[in-house]
Amino acid sequence: MKIRTKGMLLGIFAALAIALAGCGAGTRKAGASGEAGASDSIVCYVGHGFWDGSLDPIKGGFPYGYGFVNNGLVQVNCKSEYEGSLARSWEVSEDSLVYTFQLREGVKFQDGSGFTAEDVAFTYKTVMENQGQNGEVDLSKVEKVEALGEYSVQFTLKEPFSPFLDCTAQLGIVPSKGYDSVSFDKMPIGTGPWKVVQYDAEQQLIVEANEEYFEGAPGIKRVTFVDMDNEAAFSNAKSGQLDVVMVQPSYAAESVEGMHLEEMETIDVRNISLPCRKPGIFTNAEGEEVEVGNAVTSDVVVRKALSIGIDREEVIKNAFHGVGKPAKGWANNLIWGEPMEYEDSKAEEAKELLEGNGWVDTDGDGIREKDGVKCAFEVYTPSDEQDRYLLAAAVAEHVKGLGISIEVKQTTWDEIVTKAYTQGVVWGFGQFSPMAIDNQFRSQHFTVQPYSNPSGYGNALVDGLIEKAISANNQESAIGAWKEAQEAYAQDYPYLYLVNIEHCYFVSDRLDISADTQIPHPHGHGIPIICNMKDWKLK
Amino acid sequence: MDEEKSIFWNRRRQTACSIWAAVAYLAIGLLAGLLISPQWYQVDYHMVFAPPSFIHPFGTDYMGRDMFFRSLKGLSNSIMVGLASTAVSSVIALALGVAAAVKGGVVDRFVNWCVDLCMGIPHLILLLLISFMMGRGAKGVLAAVALTHWPELTRLVRAEVLQICSAQYVQASYRMGKSWLQVAWSHMVPQMLPVYLIGVVLLFPHAIMHEAAVTFLGFGFPAEVPAIGVVLSESMSYIATGKWWMAVFPGLLLLLAVLLLDVAGENLKRLVNPNSGNE
Repeated sequence: MKIRTKGMLLGIFAALAIALAGCGAGTRKAGASGEAGASDSIVCYVGHGFWDGSLDPIKGGFPYGYGFVNNGLVQVNCKSEYEGSLARSWEVSEDSLVYTFQLREGVKFQDGSGFTAEDVAFTYKTVMENQGQNGEVDLSKVEKVEALGEYSVQFTLKEPFSPFLDCTAQLGIVPSKGYDSVSFDKMPIGTGPWKVVQYDAEQQLIVEANEEYFEGAPGIKRVTFVDMDNEAAFSNAKSGQLDVVMVQPSYAAESVEGMHLEEMETIDVRNISLPCRKPGIFTNAEGEEVEVGNAVTSDVVVRKALSIGIDREEVIKNAFHGVGKPAKGWANNLIWGEPMEYEDSKAEEAKELLEGNGWVDTDGDGIREKDGVKCAFEVYTPSDEQDRYLLAAAVAEHVKGLGISIEVKQTTWDEIVTKAYTQGVVWGFGQFSPMAIDNQFRSQHFTVQPYSNPSGYGNALVDGLIEKAISANNQESAIGAWKEAQEAYAQDYPYLYLVNIEHCYFVSDRLDISADTQIPHPHGHGIPIICNMKDWKLK
Repeated sequence: MDEEKSIFWNRRRQTACSIWAAVAYLAIGLLAGLLISPQWYQVDYHMVFAPPSFIHPFGTDYMGRDMFFRSLKGLSNSIMVGLASTAVSSVIALALGVAAAVKGGVVDRFVNWCVDLCMGIPHLILLLLISFMMGRGAKGVLAAVALTHWPELTRLVRAEVLQICSAQYVQASYRMGKSWLQVAWSHMVPQMLPVYLIGVVLLFPHAIMHEAAVTFLGFGFPAEVPAIGVVLSESMSYIATGKWWMAVFPGLLLLLAVLLLDVAGENLKRLVNPNSGNE
């Protein structure tokens, strides 16, 4: 026993020593793989997202809506609109079932083969046959895809589905001749601006410029992405080994010699779901009985008081050092986003509202009651995301002033999914597809699909508008219906919208990341900064 | 001079001092934890990341909470888990150890098999498994720490009792018609009590360390409970930006608890053990 105790103590000292050594690291240069400071190559840390699985687009690799190794038919531009990438133009039939794309001519894959409609058809057919392997791009609405000649391709849908364009932005095209299901996991070949040179899972990804890229060769010739902890990455940046490092907003107040902070706009909003149903047992479409509802948040007055009563600026200042913009709905940099503009931080009005509806503090503990029920509920956050915990904690601290008590808890996603039926959860949503509205507000998803409609919201009008939007045969009427749906649920406040987050990076002063051509970042924990990496320049 | 000092500062005094120090530290830690009101370490966004000062001796964390009271509360949580699990583990060890040695045969083989089984699995992994099975949180960590610290002590007790078993007075006792339970209780337990107690004291720091370790890895107390493991794992996110006080002070509190107990246990062992007690 003695020896083991001593061993443990030694262990602690060693851990402390390592941790302290991390703070004071000198200006050692990076090792074998890449070196910050080289004249035409850079080393970046952009979070962990690369390392989750395969790089193969067929299996869901790079589903972010911009070209990297592979290009999609369309891509997202700086205004969150879809524009052609491998497709020059497209048209949708009157019944909105047939999409015809005219393709770019003269494009070459990185293996030298020419890009034709055959490659597009091959890519989509392969995904449709192996849909189970691809959790990112859902092609279940596609009936068939055909190549019409060399540079034209036609999709026929089973039913009208207006968000289909988003699928074509997310799915990168692979060469029909060179495709290999095994080697593409690590070395995909595409038409994009970057060629994979080496990929070591959870270690590094090295890419080189594709000199033949159809929009012109990238300015930087070689980029190494490294995988490490956020804290280790920050230490590495401090010692001059990285050119780009993603940091959490809590690091935004730090400074790094030779680097400057870039705060990038995102379409990612954070909200807290507030269960709308009264406590009870709910039998869902699959016949399962689920315990749902919350006695406090099912009162629309409480939900409204929270939404108008809190001071979002203050919450953001406390949780994120002021990084991020107050949000009362979906981000307004989305083409379908209809942020509900109303004044917040009206604490007095919120209190009157609560009192008028019977929520009064009778026992003097600072928390209101109504019919013996305390105005208190729990909010869950995933234990691996400190940011969401900070946000929830800041909200909890803030709403004490309104006489509402929120207890913040951290746990795993497995548990959160079931807790969401009865308690609040901090969610993050940021995608270009308006299907996010279907996902969060359509009544039929409740308890059937995990992560969908966690508030248990049910409104026939909203359901109808969502259906109308999905089956619309042109972008304008679809967007109109999506916006109407947002207006329709707004007065029910099923979610407490808080913040449109911003992604923070420290960027080397010698590097220009072309802020003008960055797209608003989708949800992606730091990766989206690479959306325009082909435009980056070393000064 | 040297002799004089060594006569005054002999092993008995050393042992007594170390035991008192350990007991006092534990008692203060435990009491302080029970008396501290959550008000004293509440969120204060105006005092985020304050370095150690007169008002906040251990500094404050990322939400402006006072680290001194939070760490102390955490230490007391750890001590409580330590006490509870030591109590459970030592009772299990005593029962199994005595039963194995006295009954022999199938019982002995079964107990040995259990001991081997538990010691065969790396301790930390066993802890994580049990804690995960019990749904994590306070319940999980308590069960995990309580149910995994008995094997070594069981072996110790069994060996000790086996030795006593062959003594004449024990045999005589049997012949006079006493049952094995009576013999075990009146002859064996008093005999092996010193060794057993030392074992228990030395088990305590292990239990505290393991509670902190399991919590640090995210399988123990949830983040909203002030526990040393939680405080330490939170501090890891900020150590790269130079917020050293968030890790160092809570770490020292834990280290001191473990060290004091270890020293007390070691001294006690040398004093009670017949081979070294007369040195």
